[in-house]
Order: sequence, then C-alpha cells, then structure tokens
Amino acid sequence: MRPLTDAWRSATSRLILIYGALFAIWCVVLLGVVQWESSRYLTNVVDGMLAARLHYLERTDPHRLRDTVDAASAIDATGFMAAGLFDAKGQRIAGNIEKVPAGLDEDGVIHAVQARVDENSDEPARRARGMANTLPDGERLVVVKESAVIDGLGAIIRRGALWGLSLTLIPGVLGGILIARRPARRVREIQLAMEPIREGDLSVRLPVSRTGDEVDLLAGTVNTTLGEIERLLGEVKGVTDNIAHDLRTPLTRMRTRLYRVQQQIEGTPEAEQLEAAVEEIDTVLARFRALLRVSELEDRQRSACFESMDLGTVLKNVHEFYAPLAEDRHQVFELDVGKLPHLRGDPQLMFEAFANLVGNAIKFTPNGGAIRLVALTDPTGDARVDIADTGPGIPVGEREAVFRRFYRSDETRSKPGCGLGLAIVSAIVRLHGYSLAVGGNDDGAVFSVTCPAA
Amino acid sequence: MPRALVIEDDEVTARDIVAELGAHGLNAEWVANGRDGLARALENGYDIITLDRMLPGMDGIDVVSELRKRAVETPVLMISALSDVDERVRGLRAGGDDYLTKPFAPDELAARAEVLLRRHRRPETGETRIRVEDLELDLVKHNALRGGQPLTLLPTEFRLLEFLMRNAGQVVTRQMIFEHVWGFHFDPGTNVIDVHIGRLRRKIDGAGQVPLIRTVRGSGYVLAPAD
Repeated sequence: MRPLTDAWRSATSRLILIYGALFAIWCVVLLGVVQWESSRYLTNVVDGMLAARLHYLERTDPHRLRDTVDAASAIDATGFMAAGLFDAKGQRIAGNIEKVPAGLDEDGVIHAVQARVDENSDEPARRARGMANTLPDGERLVVVKESAVIDGLGAIIRRGALWGLSLTLIPGVLGGILIARRPARRVREIQLAMEPIREGDLSVRLPVSRTGDEVDLLAGTVNTTLGEIERLLGEVKGVTDNIAHDLRTPLTRMRTRLYRVQQQIEGTPEAEQLEAAVEEIDTVLARFRALLRVSELEDRQRSACFESMDLGTVLKNVHEFYAPLAEDRHQVFELDVGKLPHLRGDPQLMFEAFANLVGNAIKFTPNGGAIRLVALTDPTGDARVDIADTGPGIPVGEREAVFRRFYRSDETRSKPGCGLGLAIVSAIVRLHGYSLAVGGNDDGAVFSVTCPAA
Repeated sequence: MPRALVIEDDEVTARDIVAELGAHGLNAEWVANGRDGLARALENGYDIITLDRMLPGMDGIDVVSELRKRAVETPVLMISALSDVDERVRGLRAGGDDYLTKPFAPDELAARAEVLLRRHRRPETGETRIRVEDLELDLVKHNALRGGQPLTLLPTEFRLLEFLMRNAGQVVTRQMIFEHVWGFHFDPGTNVIDVHIGRLRRKIDGAGQVPLIRTVRGSGYVLAPAD
C-alpha cells in the first residue's frame, strides 16, 4: 500500500486545487466579458461624441468654421478632445492638433490612431480615436479623442480582478490545505489500522470518529464487513476444530480397546494386525493434535510467555535433538551460529518451529545429503536463520501454498506427515511478529526466518 | 495397595481412569466434583490424585492450590481438555506435579501416575549414584558404568539414561521422555525419540550383555531386565 505522506496527494487537496483553478478561470472569463462590454460601451460613447462634433463642425458656416474649430478645441484643454482644420496639403489652419494623425483617412469613419496634440513635446503619441472628412472646398476637418478613459477602465477592471483573485484564491487554497489535513490524517490512521488486518489479524477495527462523515461511513462499512468475515472464518475454523476435538475422544477409546486386546493376544498374527491398526489410529490422532495445535497458536493473540531469548541456544538444542536422526540417514547436518542480536520470544515455541523445519529438511533430503542450520545477523541488524537442505526443493508455484493447512505437494505425498508442520511454523512465526520465507532451487529448499531485534 | 483418588466429573472418563489404575495395582476411588474431591483428599491419605482441570463447584486449580496450602503433599496428576502451554504452566504452578491433556491413552495416564508414585515414595534426596542391575550412574562425576566398564555418553544420553534409571521397571512414553529429558511439551511427531533411545541402547546393551532397555509396543520404553 502506498503511504499517503504527501498532502497534495489527498483527494480533498486535489479537489481544492481543481476548484480553485476553475474559479480563477471563471473569474477571468467573467471580468474579461465585463471589460469587453465596458470598453465597447465607452468606445461607442467616444465615437458618438466624435461623430456629433464632426457633424456639428461640418455644418458650421464656412466663414465661421476656423473660429468654431478653435473654440471647440479650446473647450477641452486637458482631456485631449482635439479638433483641427487643415488645408488640402495638410497644413493646419485652425484647432489644437498640429498634424493629421497617421492612418486617419478622410472618410467620415471612426479610426483608432496614435495622436499627439503638441508635435514638439517629448510626450509619446497616445492611443486615440479619430474621425476626419474633406469639406467641399478641399479643406480637411479632423476630430480626435484620446481613448485613455477606455484603457483606464480596462486597467481598473484588471487590477480589481487581480486583487479579487488574490484575496479569494490565496486564503482559499491555504484554508483548503488546512482543511484537507484532517481527512489526510484520518486516512493515515486508517492505513495504520489496516496493517495488522493485512497481516491476517481480523480482530482489528478501523477507527471511527464522532463526525459521521463519508470516511466514517466507509470505515463503519469496512468494520461491519470485517466482523462478518471474522465470524464466518471463526465458524469454519470452529467446525474444523470441533470435528477434530470431538473425534479424538472416541478414537482414543477405540485405540485403548484395540491396544488392550493386542496386549492380551501378544505373539499371535492377529496381534500384529491390531498393532498396525493402533499405529493408524495414532497417526490420525497425531493429525488432530497438530490441527488443534495450529488453531491454538493462531488464537493466541498474546505474548505472555515472551522473554529474553537466546536464539543460538534454541538452535543448538534443535541441532542436538535432530543430529542422531540425520546421522542415521548418513546426512551431514551442520550448525553455524554467528553473533545474534538480542531477541524477545518464547524459546519453547521457537524450538517447536525450528524442530518442524529441521525435521522436514531431514525427511525430504535423500540419504547422504546435507542440511545446514545457519543463524546470522543480517545488514539491517535482524537475526536471520536459514534451514537449507539438498532435497528436491519446492517449486516456485507452491511456495505460498506449503504454509496452508493440509497442503501436500506431489513430492511429499509419499512421505509420512500430515501437511500441518509448516502451518504450525507459520503460526508461531506470526505470533512472534517474525517473517518466514521459502527459497532455493532444484538443488534444495531454503527456509528463512527473520527475527527483528528486540 | 496404593490408593488413588480420581476427581473427575465425566463418568465415562472416570470409569476408564479407575479401571486403568486398577489394572496397574492401584485402588482407585472416584469423586465427581471439586468440593467433595478436596474434602476427601484432606481426610484420607491417598498416594496419588488425578484431578480434572474443569470441575463443577470448584475448579481443579483451586483444589490443588488448597491442598498445597494445607500442606497436603500427595502427588497430583492434572488432567485437562485445555492443551495450551499457558494452562499447563498454570496447573503446575498451582501445585500439580504433572499435566495430561485429554483425550489421553490410559497407558499414558498409568505411566505418568506410576512415575509420580515412585518419585513420591523415593524423593530425590541428594543421592549421588543410581544402580539398576550392573548399570551404574554417578550423578556427581557424570559417568556411567555397565558391568564395571565405563560408557561414553553424550550429555543428552546421560540425562535420558538417568530418567530411565530413576523410573526403572516403569513404562515411560515417548512424550514423557521428551518432556522430562528435553523439557518440551509439544508433540515431536517424528521418530526422533526412538533414534535417541536406539543410540543409547547400542551403548548400554552391548553384545553378550542382558538387554536392559526394552520397547513396549504401542506404549513406550522400560529400563529393566527381561523377566
């Protein structure tokens, strides 16, 4: 599971960012439309004023036109509402504009131009709208209005938009991040709670807060499902255990009766048959014992018997216990214990686990083969115990399955056993919080138990 | 005739225990609940008590605790359906001398009862030598002799031989050997115990010597000369 460490990865943060981006785009579009509409309106107003002024000047008595143009341009000394009368060669006759602005045709139509009232000033030409027409006597009449008011309005709207977005988006995003932290924290809590569940502990439940939000609803649903799974698994396990438990008593009694009869008729051929029957019952009883042992270990959710454990001594005892068996089979059984970290555990249970692993290694390794029991401290500081043999090995496809109850591969069906040894090992290892892996190849299997240092 | 008290609420199990102990020369009496069991154990001097762990009226743990509190030293073999190691530890800590898990083979029960009886009659009071026939074990020097000839034994073989000699004439099961010699209480489930016994036997019962370690088929082993 990927850890949710980055706040930006959370769904809430992503939603906030997407919403913020959409909001910004929407604001820009809205203000763009407002600016465009305002500019259009003001342009129309300016154009109307220019058209009205030109219209008025065109209809002025030609004899008074020069004075009228001068008077009209004098009205607007600062606002750059200029008017000018020019001869056919473009020389100014009257008005406050010295030259006909470039690109202003005498067609009675509004044009956007760059204009300057005083040609000798250092001021740059300003954006303006102008209109010109040729009078019947060949003179040219020009009216120009600076469009600063239109541009100014655009600038005001743009500044407003910038402030508005800043004041909305920055607190919004910051607030969003702060708000997103809580769900992210809760998701992390749920993630942590899920860890033991992934390890197979179905008794754990996800944390539920009092807010009753979507996360709580989801956690509640998962908890209900976990409870149901736990109940069903418990029932299945209970049925299996009960069968094993309930059959042991009649089987034991049957064994007792057969054994007594066998003792009474000792030395006859029938006694041998009875002995074989007793051995068969012993095999079945051993399987039931192993099955109940697995259940007992799986149910044990505590570490009451855990103590400071000398793993080296445990392994030496296992080696000493099994060495005669390996010797009888002409197998080389080596023990190599290096320096090991301090561990906490139950030595009795760990002996049982390693005894099962070593017993299997001896059982599946042909006569004359070799078994190595090696314990060392790995680079991470944990203890690692390898049980390597020169048996047939475990096919890659079966390496998960071998730890299941009753699993017998084709290789092992001919050997004695009940397919529960590795389930016992697995349960003991899990109880300790250790890990168990199987590797190797066709030249043998390697079981590795990693024990984190205490 | 040694007397045994069987405190067991299940009648069928109790009948089996009484019959098995009777077959081994013990006079067994049955009590079906904890309170009566405790009263009977306090009144009469029994040689051994088999005590069920879960009893009506008074729990087996409470019964054995009360007995020990009142200085009753009769050996107690606790019998329980609870096989968990923790339960065993609780039973032994409360004062039980041995712990047998149900269901059990009656010969296993009898073997354990006999070992307890013997240990109670002859407590290990600092004896330094054990002798069975011409087999001698020196517990101080840690050496063994057979017919005066020294035997070379590994530490485990020495412990195994000591256990067999202390219980000479008694059948001891593989599980009992595993528990007493190695100190573990799970089912070793293989023939490892047989292999250890086999190796010890080769060292002790040499050619021309009377075999002392005998296999009791379906049950276990006994160290004793053949009848």
